[in-house]
Amino acid sequence: MRHAALVTTIAGLALGAVTALTLTPAIAQAPKSGGTLNVMLREDLAQGFATHETSTVATSTPSLPCFSNLVFFDQSKKNESMDSVVGELAEKWSWQDNYKNLVFFLRKDVKWHDGKPFTSKDVKYTFDMVREAPDAAAKLRINPRKDWYANVEHIEAPDPYTVVFRLKRPQPSLLLMLASGYSPVYAAHVPAASYRTGCVGTGPFKVKEWRKGEFVEYVKNPDFFVKGRPYLDGLKYIVIVERGTRTAALQSGQLDVAFPGETGRTSMEQLKKAVPTMVFQPVAQNVSDNIIMNTKKPPFDNPKVRLAVSYAIDRRGLIQAAHQGGAVLGAAMAPKPYGFWGMLEKDLLALPGYGKADEMKDQARKLLREAGITPQNPLKVEVGVRAIAIYLDMASFVVNELKQVGIEGTLKQVETAQWHPMATRGEYQMGANLTGLGTDDPDANFYENYACGSPRNYSQYCSEEMMKAFERQSQELDIKKRVAMVIDIQKRLEQDAPRPILAQRLDYFAHWSHVKGLVAHNNVYNFPRFTDVWRDK
Amino acid sequence: MAASPATVELPATTRAALARPGALTVLGRFVRKKPLGAAGGFIMLVITVTAVFANLAETHDPIATDAAQTLGAPSAAHWLGSDHLGRDVYSRIVHGARVSLIVGLASSVLGSFFGGIIGLLSGYAGGKTDLITQRVLDIFQGLPLLVLAMVMSAALGASIENVVIAISVPIIPRAARVIRSSVLSIREMQYVEAARAVGVRHLRIAFRHILPNTMGPFIVLMTAQLGSAILVEATLSFLGLGVPEPYPSWGRMLSVSAAEYAQKAPHLVIFPGLAISLAVFGSNLLGDALRDTLDPRLRGA
Amino acid sequence: MKNYVAQRLGIAILTLLGMSIVIFVLLRLAPGDIVDILFSTGGYVNADERKAIMKELGIDKPLVTQYLEWLRNFMVGDLGKSYRYDQPAWDIIRPLIPVTVELAALSILVAVCLGVPTGVISAVRQDTGLDYVLRVFSLAGLSMPAFWLGMVIILGLVSWLQWIPPVTYVGPRENFWLHAVQFGLPALAVGYRSSALIMRITRSALLEVMREDYIRTAWAKGQSERVVIWRHALKNAILPVVTVIGIEFAFLIGGLVVTENVFNLPGVARFLVQAILWRDYPIVQNLVMFIAVVVIFSNLFVDMLYGFLDPRVRYGS
Repeated sequence: MRHAALVTTIAGLALGAVTALTLTPAIAQAPKSGGTLNVMLREDLAQGFATHETSTVATSTPSLPCFSNLVFFDQSKKNESMDSVVGELAEKWSWQDNYKNLVFFLRKDVKWHDGKPFTSKDVKYTFDMVREAPDAAAKLRINPRKDWYANVEHIEAPDPYTVVFRLKRPQPSLLLMLASGYSPVYAAHVPAASYRTGCVGTGPFKVKEWRKGEFVEYVKNPDFFVKGRPYLDGLKYIVIVERGTRTAALQSGQLDVAFPGETGRTSMEQLKKAVPTMVFQPVAQNVSDNIIMNTKKPPFDNPKVRLAVSYAIDRRGLIQAAHQGGAVLGAAMAPKPYGFWGMLEKDLLALPGYGKADEMKDQARKLLREAGITPQNPLKVEVGVRAIAIYLDMASFVVNELKQVGIEGTLKQVETAQWHPMATRGEYQMGANLTGLGTDDPDANFYENYACGSPRNYSQYCSEEMMKAFERQSQELDIKKRVAMVIDIQKRLEQDAPRPILAQRLDYFAHWSHVKGLVAHNNVYNFPRFTDVWRDK
Repeated sequence: MAASPATVELPATTRAALARPGALTVLGRFVRKKPLGAAGGFIMLVITVTAVFANLAETHDPIATDAAQTLGAPSAAHWLGSDHLGRDVYSRIVHGARVSLIVGLASSVLGSFFGGIIGLLSGYAGGKTDLITQRVLDIFQGLPLLVLAMVMSAALGASIENVVIAISVPIIPRAARVIRSSVLSIREMQYVEAARAVGVRHLRIAFRHILPNTMGPFIVLMTAQLGSAILVEATLSFLGLGVPEPYPSWGRMLSVSAAEYAQKAPHLVIFPGLAISLAVFGSNLLGDALRDTLDPRLRGA
Repeated sequence: MKNYVAQRLGIAILTLLGMSIVIFVLLRLAPGDIVDILFSTGGYVNADERKAIMKELGIDKPLVTQYLEWLRNFMVGDLGKSYRYDQPAWDIIRPLIPVTVELAALSILVAVCLGVPTGVISAVRQDTGLDYVLRVFSLAGLSMPAFWLGMVIILGLVSWLQWIPPVTYVGPRENFWLHAVQFGLPALAVGYRSSALIMRITRSALLEVMREDYIRTAWAKGQSERVVIWRHALKNAILPVVTVIGIEFAFLIGGLVVTENVFNLPGVARFLVQAILWRDYPIVQNLVMFIAVVVIFSNLFVDMLYGFLDPRVRYGS
C-alpha cells in the first residue's frame, strides 16, 4: 500500500516535471529586452562605415547595425532568395512594365540617427551616387559596385515616400542587389565622406563610440522604426588581430558572437569540445576559392592549358587539406542547398577536376601534351598569392597538385597593397584568389567577375558569346528557364576555365547559447543586423 | 761573421713552452673551463649540421601537402606531427633551421662586418670624422631594432635577401660602437705609437695592426648578434613581414595557422617555438663563453 | 655640468632630426601606399580615382615639400592627419601612450626585481650549481621569442582555466584586480626576457667590484657577507645596472610590439604594426619619432644620472 502511494507520488512528480520541462522552452522563448553583446572583429574597420566605398566584410559587417536597406534578406531565414526579400525602408514594392520599372513605397515614420526625417530624396541620392549618374549630387571616392546599377536609366522621387527605378531593360536581379548588405541607404544631408569616420543611419543601433583600433560600440536606437526593436541595449565589436587570442576570447566568453566566416571546421571541433553548449550554425559563405589566370598572355591564353590546370587540382583534396573538410564542391554560384542557382551534385561531378583524382590528372597531362608541355619541356609558372594564411594554404596545395602534372609553380608572395594593382594590370600569370558574392545573384557574379572590361575580372576574360548569355539570363523572367541558363553558363565557364572554382567555403558560425534569435545565412555579407537578436542571461 | 739571432737553436723544453697549443687542446680546455659555453657550441653545431644537410635529415618534402594527414599528432610516420596542410613538421623544422641560420648568420656577419669597418675607421680617425659618424650611427641606433627591421622589411618587400638587409642594418650601429671602443683603447698602445713614429701609413696601421686585435670582440659581437638576428627573423615572419613562402620559417610556422589549431594540435605551437628558443639559447651560451674567454675586458659590457 | 647638458641636448635634437629624415625616406621606399591599400579594400584599381585621392590626402606634392610640411607642423605640435582614419594623428595616438608606458614601466620593474636578486645570488655563489641554474633560467627567458611566450600563456590559460585576461582595456579604477592581471601577465612575459641582461650585468659588475681591494679588506676585517655585499659592493655595482636599464628600454619596444598584439592591449606598439601595414605614414612617422624621443631622452637621463652618481665622469672629459 505504502509503495503504491510512493509510486504514484513519484509518477505524479515526474509527470509534472516533464510537463514543466516541455512547456518551459516555449515560455523561455519569449524575447527579453536588455543586455549587450560582444561581437568579434578580426581587424579594425577598413574605411569606417563607408560601405559603398569598400567591398570587404571588415567594413560592411560591423556597419550593418547602423544602416537600413530599401529591402533586405529576411534575417530569420538561412537561405537567401527572391522569396526571402523583405522590406526595411520600403513598405511595399512593385515591378511595373514587365520588370523594367521598380517602384518602392517607403515607410513614413523613419528618422535618421540625428533626428532628421528619412525621405525618398535619400534613396535617390544614394543610388544616383553609386551608379555615378551624370547629375548625381555626390561622388564616391572609391566605387566598387558601380556596375551593379549599370542598367539603371533613371531614378525618380515623385513624392517624399515613393521611389522609382527606371531600367534600360528588364532585370529582375536588381531587387536582389538592393537587398545585399552592400546596399545600405546613405543620408543625403551628410557628406558621403562622413561615413568614413562616423555613421548617420536609420538602423536599429546608433554608433556610440569608435575607438580606433580597439572597438566599435553601439547603443540601441530609441526611435527605430520597428517598435519594440531592437531587444538589445547595445553591441560592442571588439578588434582582436591575433588569431589565437580571438578564438580564446570566444572560448572564454569574452566574446559572445563570432565573425561571419571565421569559424572553420577545426575551430568548431575545438570550441565544441571546450564549450559543449556553444551553438554552431553550418552555412555556406558564398565565398569561393579560385585560381585566376591571365588569359591575355601565354601560356594561359591557351584554353587547353587553363583546362589542364583545372583538371590537375583535386577539389576534394583541397577541401580536406586547406579547409579540413569545411568547404563543399561548387561552381561559380553557390551549390544547392546553400544557393539558389547552384548546380546539382551529379552535374558538378562532370566538371573538370571534380572526378577521381588520378583520372583527372591523366586528363590534365594529356591536355598539356597537346599544348606542347611535357616533363622534358615543363611549364614554369609564378603563382601570386597574398601573405594571408587562407590564400597561402590554398596556393601551397595547388602548387603541389600542379607539380604532379608537370607544371612547376613557385609561390610568389605579394603584399596586399600590391595585389590589386598587379591583378588589374595583368602583371601576373596565375594567382590564388577568393571571390565573395554580396548577394546570391547571377548578375552580380557574372558582371563583376566575368564580363569584358570589368575591373574585377582579373583574368581579363572576354567572350562575346558569354556576354550574350549573361544578357539573356539577366532578362529572362521565367525563373525555371533562367535557372537552367545560369547552370549552363556555369558549366561553360568551367570549361573555358578563366577562373576555375576550387571550393565553396563553409562557415560553422559560432555563438554562445545565451544569444537568441540570431540566424546565420548562406552568405557572409548579409547578416547579422541584430534587430531581432536577444540575450537570454 | 756574427751569428744572427734567428739562427739560434732553442732547447727542446723552451720550444715546447713557446709552441702554440694545438687546436684540440684549446677545445678541450674550453669545454672543461666553460661547460655552458661548450653546451651552447654543441647545440649550434647540431643545428648547423642539420641545416647544411637538411636534404638528408628530412623525412618528407617540407612543402609537400598531404590531404589525408592533416593535423596528425607525432607518430612514427611524422616524428613531430603534421600541420594543417598535411606537411611534415619535423622536415619543416629541419629546413627552417637552414633559413634561420642563413638569415641569422648573414645578417649578423654583414651587420657586424660593415659596422666593424665603420667603427674601426671612425675610432682610428678620431676627431670630427669620429664625432659625425657617431651621430649618424646614433640616428639608426635610436630607432628600436624591431621597428626599424619592420619598416625596412615593408620598404624592401618580402624576399630572403631583403630580410637579411632589413635585419643587418640595425646591427651596424651596434657593432660599430663596440669595435670603436675597442679600437680607442688599442690606438693609444705603445706599439701603435711606435709604428706611427716610424712612418707607417694610417690605413696600414688600421688594418694591419689594430684590426687583428679587435678580432676577439668582433667574434663575440657576431655570436651575440646571431641570437638576436634569429629572434628578429622569427618575429618578422610571425608578423608576416619575414621570409616569404615557400621557404619554411620557424616564425611563420607559428603564425595564424598554428594559433588556430593550437588546441587540437599543440605540437604545431610547441616544436617551432622550441626550435627558435634552442637556437637562440645555444648561440647566447656560446657567445657568453667566447666573450669570457677571448676578451675578459668585455665581461662587464 | 650645464654645458654638458646643453651640448647633449643639442646633439639629441640633431639626432632626432636625422631620424625623422631616415624614417620619412624609408617609409616612402616601401612599395604601395595608402591609396593602394584603400583600393585593395575596394577590390579594384582606377587611375583617375587614384589621382583624386592622392590630391585629397596631399601626397601628390613633391616629397621634399611633404617632409618640410611635416617638420613645420611637428614643431607647432600639429602631428598631421591619419591617412586611414582621416582624424588628427595626435587624437588617435594620445590614449595609446599611457597603456604602453604602463606596460613598459611594469616590465622594467619585473626585469629589475627578477634580474638584480638573481644577479647578486649568482655572483656571490659564482660557479656553483645554483649559479648555473640561475644563468640558464635567465638566458632561457632571453632566448624565447616574446610572441611565442605570449601565445603559450594565452593558449595555456584558455585550455586549462577557460579564462584569459580581458581583451578590452580595463582601467585601474574600474576593476583593480582585473587591470592588474591584464597588465601584470604581459609585463611578466616581457620583463622575464629583459631580466636576463640585467642579471648578467649585475652579476659581472658585482664580481668585478668584489675583487676590489676595499671589499677584500672588509672581508678580512670580518664583516658579515651580507653587510659587505649590500653596503659596499652593490652601491658601486649600481652604476652599470642603471646604464643597462636605459639600454633595455629600447630593446623593450620590440618585445612590446608582439606582446601588445597577443594580449590585445591598446597601446602604441600594437597600433604601430597596423599603421605600417596600412602605410599610414603620419601615424608611423609620429609614433616612431615619439619612441625615438623617449629612447633618446631616457638615454640622456641615464647618462646624466651616471654622471651624477659617478664623480669621475662629472669632472672628466
